[in-house]
Amino acid sequence: MNYFEVFGLPPLLGIDTRALEKTFHELSRRFHPDYFTTAAAEEKSRALRMTALVNDAYRTLRHPTKRVEYLIGLYGFKSDGSKVPQSLLAEVFDINEQLEEIRMAGAASDVLLENLRRQVHLKREKFEKDLEASARQWDHLVTGVADEALRKVHIAELSRILSESSYIRNLEDEIENRQGHYFKPGR
Amino acid sequence: MAKIVGIDLGTTNSLVAIVNDGVPKVLAGRDGMTLVPSVISFDESGAVQVGHAAKETQVEKSRNTIFSIKRFMGKGIDDVREDLALLPFEVAPDSEHIIRLKIFGRDYTPPELSAFILRELKRNAEAALGEEVVNAVITVPAYFNDAQRQATKDAGRIAGLDVLRIVNEPTAASLAYGLQEKKQGTIAVYDFGGGTFDISILKLSEGIFEVLSTSGDTHLGGDDIDERLIRLVMSELKQTPDVHQIQAIRKAVNLAKEELSRKDSSQIAVDALGYHKHLTRSEFNALIEPIIERTLTPCRQAMKDAGIKAPDVDEVVMVGGSTRIPLVRERVQDLFGRVPHTELNPDEVVALGAAVQADILAGGKRDMLLLDVTPLSLGIETVGGVLSKIIPRNSTIPASATEMFTTFVDGQTNVKIHVLQGERELVKDSRSLAQFELKDIPPMVAGMPRIEVKFLIDADGILSVSAQEMRTGKYASIEVKPTYGLTDEQVEQMILDSFEYAEADIEARQVIEARNEAQTVLAATAKGLEDEEYNNLSSDEKEEITAATQYLQKTLSAEDHRAIRDAIDRLSHATMRLAELIMNAAISKALKDKRVREIQ
Repeated sequence: MNYFEVFGLPPLLGIDTRALEKTFHELSRRFHPDYFTTAAAEEKSRALRMTALVNDAYRTLRHPTKRVEYLIGLYGFKSDGSKVPQSLLAEVFDINEQLEEIRMAGAASDVLLENLRRQVHLKREKFEKDLEASARQWDHLVTGVADEALRKVHIAELSRILSESSYIRNLEDEIENRQGHYFKPGR
Repeated sequence: MAKIVGIDLGTTNSLVAIVNDGVPKVLAGRDGMTLVPSVISFDESGAVQVGHAAKETQVEKSRNTIFSIKRFMGKGIDDVREDLALLPFEVAPDSEHIIRLKIFGRDYTPPELSAFILRELKRNAEAALGEEVVNAVITVPAYFNDAQRQATKDAGRIAGLDVLRIVNEPTAASLAYGLQEKKQGTIAVYDFGGGTFDISILKLSEGIFEVLSTSGDTHLGGDDIDERLIRLVMSELKQTPDVHQIQAIRKAVNLAKEELSRKDSSQIAVDALGYHKHLTRSEFNALIEPIIERTLTPCRQAMKDAGIKAPDVDEVVMVGGSTRIPLVRERVQDLFGRVPHTELNPDEVVALGAAVQADILAGGKRDMLLLDVTPLSLGIETVGGVLSKIIPRNSTIPASATEMFTTFVDGQTNVKIHVLQGERELVKDSRSLAQFELKDIPPMVAGMPRIEVKFLIDADGILSVSAQEMRTGKYASIEVKPTYGLTDEQVEQMILDSFEYAEADIEARQVIEARNEAQTVLAATAKGLEDEEYNNLSSDEKEEITAATQYLQKTLSAEDHRAIRDAIDRLSHATMRLAELIMNAAISKALKDKRVREIQ
């Protein structure tokens, strides 16, 4: 059973998160291990596995980006936010250069860093909009009569935009961390 | 079904509670008190005392009195070196992966020591309920990692409890507050206890308590405030205090700290050292400010992770003894911009919540459901010492993740997987959880096996791993080596040991006590035989004394306290007339002496 099926949904990227939460609560009330304390071992372990599946599905589907990541995974694609996508090579090179300059600048670096963060943030917003648009197209394709080959082409397109936006998101996170927002977890 | 109790196993105090007719209630111990100090004291004979009795002799018997053991759960020695400097405990060798404390020549791990506290609570609950108690829900700090949770579960098993659920303390507290009557809302639970700090953000909706995020520090609590004050006192002393004196200082600063929550000033009085210091609340506040500041960072992180801002929080709940400190309340109020709830006793609220959760498990309340999260990301070690996260922090539990593994060498039949917890990128900055070794993989060409490994975090927040080779469908067997914890076999052995120990313990103590009494009776008899009154006994009486003495001496070596007691009774009976004669003679002699003095 894939995550969409767990929630009784077609593989569409536009999801009503309110309705999703409602189903999540209903499924939790049905399968949660709390209600199987006195049950037989087999039933108990089924409740545990089922609840884990419901939770994994909810965690993935309620998040727009994770949802796309999961969908392309069903088609054998994998997004990797750690490698620089080909299309972004020049831009990333430029940003890294600026980061290095800021590091050298010392005292004034806070203002420069914030400027750079805003710049990256705008890029991130653009990629997120692209991703949304591409997701809507996907839903259009699936509800229409698009054949499997056409779907695969679109999945590849989704995968490319996702990689780009993940990379830019990671870059923004990294700049934020440098701004001293970095949270150091306790022991 | 059998009753399920809720237990708050705290750093400073522990409690047991149960739901009766829908109302959670804390159960009092035999001494009428609900709080059981988490203090354990040992003596030479192997006798163990827990709670108030142990706390009373804490300063005198500091070497053999264990406290704040919760801070050592799931830890190796390197984690707690700083604490140990101010603690009177003797650490046994071989404490790298699990602390072992040496007490009268025997090594104890934190789960075994915690089990003494749990056993006391179990007995208290049994006395209060009039029936055997086996099933329990035990609470832990939300930010406890896998090893700390497992250690708590192990402690329960060693104490003879079936731990049906490990519940997070802040979440339990929210259940106790009866906030479900509000139907909807966002709740922040700020839990600052004796040894740990937690913050949890929950979303309440129609009886479902869904934790959105949690953060904290499992090594931050009232103990840290005490330590700061101890160091202040030590810096003002002329001589370096010994371990006993440090415990006297600890007691004094603790009293002053508590008084400063009620009054504007107090005194740190260590009579044994002739040390007295006047301390105002503002001086105290300045000292503890950095500690309180350390609790605010996780609060901000938890809000960020929950995707909310301070004004979105509808209710703030305060839990744990350290929230009695006025500055703590002030800072929390500033952060969230609203007056926190302090209606319920912060010492009892977690135990009450644990009882509510126990009631849910027992089938009592089906309308309430708790959905908690895992506090730390779970990851596996990949090439170059990089942590690859497979279950992110704040995932609702139970949660799972599946990863594919393969072999690197032809015919390879074993694969090792290193599992860690933490938020950092590198393995060296994360907390190692365990090494899983997949065995009996069918031999194939390198890269051919497709081993699907399933990582499952259960509702207790504890990880289990299963693996299957997909080409053959064969389940691989897994050997688990916990990094900071006990293996199943070790726990089994400890259960056996504690069993023998619990019985042998009482038995040994009774034999020792009976022998001591026998020695006293024998010594008194020997003295009586030398008294001139002995000659006034009949020969039958003399013979019986000799026979009873020999019988007691013979019985003395037996490991049977009842036989010794019987022999003591026989000798006491045999010497009764002799004792009377000696007593009478002594009295008449005293009277005679008096008369002699009066004449003179």
